[in-house]
Amino acid sequence: MRYLLLSLVYFVTIKTFSKEVVQQERVQKFKWKNLEVVYLKDNQYPTYNVSIYFADGALSDNRRRTGETSQMFSLLTSGTRRFSQKDILENLEFFGTKYGSNVTHEYSVFSVSGLTKDIVPTMKKVCHLFQDTTFSRRILSREKHLSISKLKSIVNNRGSLATRAFREISLKGTPYEKPVNGKLKGIRKIKRRDLVRKLDYFNNKVLKRIYLSGSKDVLHLKKIFLNDCGWGSEKAKFVRSKKFNKTLRKKPQVTLVVIPQANQAQIRIGRYINPGESNDIEKLKLSSEILGGRGLTSLMMSELRVKRGLIYSGGGNASKQKDYGRVVLSTYTRNEKVIEVLDVLEDLLFKAKTGRLDKIHFERSKKAVIGAYPFKFERTDDFLGRLLFYDHIGKSYSEFFNSREKIKRLSYDSIKPDLKRVFDWDKMEIVILGSGKILKKILKKKFKKVRVISYKNYL
Amino acid sequence: MRLQFLVYFLFLLLFSCQSFKKRSIPSSSLVNINVKKKVLSNGLRVLVIENPNVPIFSYYTFFDVGGRYERKGTTGGTHFLEHMMFKGSKNYPQGVFDTFIESSGGSTNAYTSFDSTVYYENLPSEVVDKVISMEADRLQNLLLIPESVEKERSVIREERKLRYENSPRGKLYLTMMQNVFKKTPYGGSVIGSIADLEALTVENLSSFYKTFYTPDNAIIVIAGDVDASDIFEKVEDSFGSIKPSQGLENYKKRKDHPRNYRLLNKKSKNIKIYGSNTKPIFVMAYNGVPITNREGFVLDILSSILGDGESSYYRKMFVKTKKPFLSSVGTWNYTLKHGGVFYISGELLPGVSLNKFKRKLLRANRNLCNRAITERSLQKTKNQYLVKYFDNISSNDGVAHFIGLRELFFGDYRFYKKELKIYQNMKLDAVKRACHKIINKSHIFLSIWNKHRKRKK
Repeated sequence: MRYLLLSLVYFVTIKTFSKEVVQQERVQKFKWKNLEVVYLKDNQYPTYNVSIYFADGALSDNRRRTGETSQMFSLLTSGTRRFSQKDILENLEFFGTKYGSNVTHEYSVFSVSGLTKDIVPTMKKVCHLFQDTTFSRRILSREKHLSISKLKSIVNNRGSLATRAFREISLKGTPYEKPVNGKLKGIRKIKRRDLVRKLDYFNNKVLKRIYLSGSKDVLHLKKIFLNDCGWGSEKAKFVRSKKFNKTLRKKPQVTLVVIPQANQAQIRIGRYINPGESNDIEKLKLSSEILGGRGLTSLMMSELRVKRGLIYSGGGNASKQKDYGRVVLSTYTRNEKVIEVLDVLEDLLFKAKTGRLDKIHFERSKKAVIGAYPFKFERTDDFLGRLLFYDHIGKSYSEFFNSREKIKRLSYDSIKPDLKRVFDWDKMEIVILGSGKILKKILKKKFKKVRVISYKNYL
Repeated sequence: MRLQFLVYFLFLLLFSCQSFKKRSIPSSSLVNINVKKKVLSNGLRVLVIENPNVPIFSYYTFFDVGGRYERKGTTGGTHFLEHMMFKGSKNYPQGVFDTFIESSGGSTNAYTSFDSTVYYENLPSEVVDKVISMEADRLQNLLLIPESVEKERSVIREERKLRYENSPRGKLYLTMMQNVFKKTPYGGSVIGSIADLEALTVENLSSFYKTFYTPDNAIIVIAGDVDASDIFEKVEDSFGSIKPSQGLENYKKRKDHPRNYRLLNKKSKNIKIYGSNTKPIFVMAYNGVPITNREGFVLDILSSILGDGESSYYRKMFVKTKKPFLSSVGTWNYTLKHGGVFYISGELLPGVSLNKFKRKLLRANRNLCNRAITERSLQKTKNQYLVKYFDNISSNDGVAHFIGLRELFFGDYRFYKKELKIYQNMKLDAVKRACHKIINKSHIFLSIWNKHRKRKK
């Protein structure tokens, strides 16, 4: 029955997607002086989206002041010489503007969206912030206090804490090890002058790219970006690039991160992907779709939740940024079931490595990725974000638009090397976050050596 | 559940003058959401919003059943049944539904609240026929295999831990509901008590299913690259022969009688809960109003003025201030079919005394209505709602959910136009009056903290 249904799905997806071909024609690329602009026309609603891409991110942080870049961007609304923080927030929010930053290790994005009728005063204000934010000591002190308090509260959110600890453990020794929003020690050391310097650096040295969507009215922003923001200089051309090769493990390392009073264990399994390993985005995507992709039909969910009722949710992902990648499988379960979950995952990864996964999982995942393709174009901000990412990793838009066709041509044999390489159990870091008392004993049943570390080391 | 999408059509009328070059949507949809509706003879309501932009669609099914219809001893049954709806039906056994949707590149999920159970899928448009067929099958032929039930019980136990036992905010929220809505159908958790979750039987689930999963108790909303007349025909073919409920309307009238929802709180209360968090998290809760009550719209505006955004009143007073008390604060107006709760919630910073903060909050609330509610803050909120409205209807999923909620709660999807007028005409005095009324009511102050005493089980 399942084969019949899959065949049915295969045949109905052969239909031409001429509507998405139209999407390619919406993309316009041009320059405002030295500022690259990508514009997506969208007249559906009287709204706009602006994303300002900066070709640098948390990798520019001083190693003693982790979180510097993230703090700088989030404090752009903290006040200028002309306007107080209250005035700025009141003004932006009066227009219903949504704004915010997203800082990664490799790049940063500052996004603004709202009603098109308000785009000019809003973007003038945004440019003013980039030009004149003073990072007052009083406000910085308060915001640091708030950041530190929020970070300490992360112990109430076990999933986030596990993800944070796992990052540091699995990327140890790489430039990407420390969390983007910083560690307690680093945040405390950030001073006003550091942020002023950082803003100056991003304004004047770092390459920028503007991504716009909306009616043609958004193109009036040219003067604002060039004059009010003062961007467009040919000097602003720095692009962060940091290739790092990490020696891969020969046996999995197991770390128990201890928190008080936990009746569930968070599980993270994964590793760093070196530059040059698995450069094919589509193969990597398909590999992670098979193991930990969407819904209840990924191998992880079907084995752990559907067949055994061991978990409520879980997933896996293998993906690459420009210079590095990561593979992460994550889930959580009750303490006494941790070994069973790990056994199932080890078995799955072994089958992936040795090419013994049932081909039906490959077929299902392939069709899933092909079928999901049109959704990339439904929301303009999402579409724009994907173009931004392809620019960041240095791939052409044709690769993005042709990704579905490429996936159609992939065979199970062609992705076996990626499955083998990326999902090798022996190369993995395994992090369990939970109660020390109970889990120490439980984990010793499967692993000879288990490192035990307090969660506080990862704040 | 608070209505997520609140409409400000005042500005839509302004924008209707612009000439938008649409990709292929007719310009009339700028001002209206173009919905086509059909009601089958068995009472099933079907609403379709055509959007040919991208070859995808969203399919929503709303059932008028939630935690509020559960009997004593079977709390969590509706939610459990929601899980079981993905476990196979006669013509599409376990695994087939998910496999088809996910291998088509789609996604599927559901949620249960006190007032409704909602199922949804997002898929490429070629497979709409199959989805209609599968949905019709699970509406009438759900399998409820005992082995699957036991596995799912295990899954729901973990979900419960995630949402309540391991979440201080979850515990706090649950305690708030138990106290504000004490001895009413809303005074518990949708996921059910631990005892009831362990005791639910296949027979309980089957009984819920047969009683409430009927065509006259359902609304289907489909938005996307579909043809409405084609959809109506296919839905008629697949669902038309399913029999409507018997006696459900009378049952609902009895269960929904206002006497079952009378709120008992007359005096202010202070409740302390033990939790693992090292800094206190609080909720100050007031009796609110039901979703159909006009005042609910006013309270929505009030809660946004007080707690939405970095420039909101409480944020400025307690977070973005010279000496902050809180690391986070927000306000919510949670309106349900037969009641509501208006609440403020936040987390204290280290070293801030809980008692001192509570006194400060009460003092601040005495002058709140005059200080916080101004023409500017009212206009700001209207602007924010308009932006949210466009954001929410910019996807098939968003617009289907938006329209379905209005059809479910107000009996007419076109109610969003009335909402327009209500918000458009919202006056400063009305918001101030509502503010004075609510702030002067008795309240329940709840806090959760690892320094509060553990209650004996």
